[in-house]
Amino acid sequence: MLMKLQMDMDLMEKLTILSDAAKYDVACTSSGVDRMGNGRGMGNSVAPGICHTFSADGRCISLLKILFTNECIFNCAYCLNNRDSDVPRAAFTPEELCTITLEFYRRNYIEGLFLSSGIMVSPNYTMELIYHTLYQLRNTHQFNGYIHVKAIPGADPVLVEKTGYLADRMSINLELPTADSLRLLAPCKSRNTILKPMRQIQNRITDNKQELILYRKAPRFVPAGQSTQMIIGATPENDYQIMSVAESLYQKFSLKRVFYSAFVNVNHHSMLPALPGGPPLLREHRLYQADWLLRYYHFQVSELLSEDRPDFNIFLDPKCDWALRHLEYFPVEINRASYQTLLRVPGIGYKSAERIVKARKRNPLNFDDLKKIGVVLKRALYFITCSGSMMYKTKLEENYICENLMRDKTQIPKDIRESGYRQLSFFDKELQKDFQLTDSQILDEMASNCHSS
Amino acid sequence: MHIFYCEDSIDGIFTGVYDAWASRYGHADAALTTQKPDNYSLFHEYIHVETDSEKSAKVARTLQTRMGTETYEEICQAASALETPSKRKNTRNKADAIYKTIVLALSLPDSSKVLNYLGEPYVNQVFQLSRSTFNEAHHLLGFLRFQELENGILFAKIHPKNNVLPFLGEHFADRLPQENFMIYDENRCLAALHPKGTGFFLTDTQELDPKALQRYSKEEQEYQKLWCRFFDTIAIEARINPKLQNQNLPKRFQQDVVEFQRK
Repeated sequence: MLMKLQMDMDLMEKLTILSDAAKYDVACTSSGVDRMGNGRGMGNSVAPGICHTFSADGRCISLLKILFTNECIFNCAYCLNNRDSDVPRAAFTPEELCTITLEFYRRNYIEGLFLSSGIMVSPNYTMELIYHTLYQLRNTHQFNGYIHVKAIPGADPVLVEKTGYLADRMSINLELPTADSLRLLAPCKSRNTILKPMRQIQNRITDNKQELILYRKAPRFVPAGQSTQMIIGATPENDYQIMSVAESLYQKFSLKRVFYSAFVNVNHHSMLPALPGGPPLLREHRLYQADWLLRYYHFQVSELLSEDRPDFNIFLDPKCDWALRHLEYFPVEINRASYQTLLRVPGIGYKSAERIVKARKRNPLNFDDLKKIGVVLKRALYFITCSGSMMYKTKLEENYICENLMRDKTQIPKDIRESGYRQLSFFDKELQKDFQLTDSQILDEMASNCHSS
Repeated sequence: MHIFYCEDSIDGIFTGVYDAWASRYGHADAALTTQKPDNYSLFHEYIHVETDSEKSAKVARTLQTRMGTETYEEICQAASALETPSKRKNTRNKADAIYKTIVLALSLPDSSKVLNYLGEPYVNQVFQLSRSTFNEAHHLLGFLRFQELENGILFAKIHPKNNVLPFLGEHFADRLPQENFMIYDENRCLAALHPKGTGFFLTDTQELDPKALQRYSKEEQEYQKLWCRFFDTIAIEARINPKLQNQNLPKRFQQDVVEFQRK
C-alpha cells in the first residue's frame, strides 16, 4: 500500500514533503573546497562557498537540502519524521534526485546537494541508497559540484567510507549536547553510534591527506571536512556545557564546523519544553558568536564561560563581555600591538586585524584609517589608542564602557530585536538578576535606547 | 596639471596609464579621469586618451609580472567598479586612484604588497572599489538565474552596478563547459556569450531580439515551479523574518531572481 502511494506521487509532491522534512537541518554551507571544472560534465566548487538565495526565515540557501526519504524506524522525540508521527511519507529514487539536482544546478539555483535521510528499513539499506545516488551523480552524470552528505548512524563503516569518496563534506549530527539528553530524547541513537563514525571519518581524512602528498591524483576523501549540529534549548544544558562540547569536537575530532540549531517544537512531545515565545534565537546567535571566537580568534571556552558563569550575557556579545572583564589588557596601541592582541579588541575582526598589521608598516594609522579599513569604531574606541592617543576622552572603567556599549543597538541584532522582546524571557532568570533588572525594566531600557540613537 | 581623459573601462584606464607615463610630465603633474570635465579649469590641460588595446596589453603585462596575479586582479576589479562621484574634495576619481597606486607599486621593491598600504588614501580607494566589484560579483555568482530558452541556450539577465561580466563569464565558463549560455547586463547592453566547449567572450547587444529571449523551453516552467516550491517549503515558519531576508538578498537583486518574481 505504502509503495503504491509513492509510485503515484509526482515529483512536486515528493519535493514538497522531503524538503519540508529536511528544513530543520542547519548547515547549508558549500564551503571548504576549491575545485575547478573538469571540462566535461558540469560543476566546480569555490572555497568560501556561495549563497544562492535566502528563504523567508532569512537563512542562506546554498544547497538543495533534502531527505532521500522521511520514512523512519527511529523514534527521536524532537524529530518530525519519527516513526510515531502522523505525517505524509515519501521517498525519491536515485534517478529522480539526480535529475532535480542537475536541472537546478544548471539554472544556478544551487551550489550542489545536501542529502540526508530518515532511516528506511535499516541504516545500511538507507546508506546504500544514498551511496547509489551520489555514485550516479558523480559517475553517470559527471557532476562536479558540491555534495554534503549525512552519514547514517549505525551504518556499516565500509559504506560510510565508500560514500565519503564521492562527497565533499560529511556530517553526523550530534543532535544533543550530552549523552544523557540523547538517551532521553533519541533512544534509538547512542553517543557511540554517533562518535564512532565521526572518528572513522576523521581518521580517513588524516590518512587521505598523507596519500595526497605521496600521490597528487589519489581519490579525495571528504575534502571539505566534517561538520555536526546540536539542538539548543530542547534540553537543560547551559552554554558552558554546549561550548565545551563544541571545543572538544574541534580539538579532538578536527571538525570544520559545529552548527547550533535553536529548538523548534514541532511534535509537542511531553518530554520537550513548550517555548511559547518561539525558538531561542538570541541564544543561538550568542553561541555562533562564541564559536567564531574559538575558530578565528584564538579564544578558549574557559576564558568566556565558567561553572560560576555558565551562560552568555544576553546584552553584550561574548567578545565585548570578555573585554569588559579584562580591562587590564587595554588600551591596545594600534600601531604596535601584535596580531593576536588586536584580535582580542571588540570591533576589530580578523580581517581588519590582518589589514592593520600590513598597513601600518608604511605609515602609522590614525582613527580615520581604521574606519576605512573596516574597524567598528563605536565598539573599539574604548579599547584602543592610535600613536598614543584615544579617539575621545573616555574612562577605562567597566560600568562606563558597559553602559555605552549597551547603547549600541547592534549588540542584539536587528532581526532578533524586532522579532519581539519575548526573546529575552528565555534566558536564565539568574542572569537577569545579575543585572538587577526585571523583564519590564529591560524593555524600558531597550525602548529608551531605541529613542536615544 | 595635465589631465588625461580616458574611457571608463579596464582598457581605457590602462591606456591612460600608458599615455600619462609616456608623456614624461612627471607623476606629480599628471592625473587621470574617466569623467567628462564639466568646467575646464584654467590651470589644467586636458588630454584626450584614445583607447588602444596594444598599449593596454603592455600595461597589463607589466602589472601581472610585477604585482602577481592576485594584486593585478584586484586592480582590474577596481577599474571595473562604478565611478561614484565623491562629495569629499580630496578623494580622487577612480582612474587617478588606480594610476597613483600603480606608480607607488612600481616604486616598491615588492609591488605585490601595494594594496597592503591602506594608510595611503589612493590605495585605500582602490581597495574599496575592488571590494565593491568583488562583493557584487560574488553575490551574483549565487543570485544569477539562468532560464532555458527554446533552443536550449541558458539565458540570464542582470542589472549590476559594477561591470562584473568578465568575472561572471569566467566562473560560469568553468562551471558549465558543456552549455551554451548568455549573461546579459541590461544596464550596459553588454553580454557574456559562451558557446559550448569553448571560452567566453564579451559582446555588445544592439541587435538582440527581445522576443527570442522570451521563448522558453517546455521544461523551464516545470523546474521553476519545483524550485519555487522548494524555496517556500524550506523556510521554518517559527523563524519567518522578511527583514533578515531582504538584508541578505538586497532588493536591487530581487528583480532578476525567479523565486522573487511571483505575485
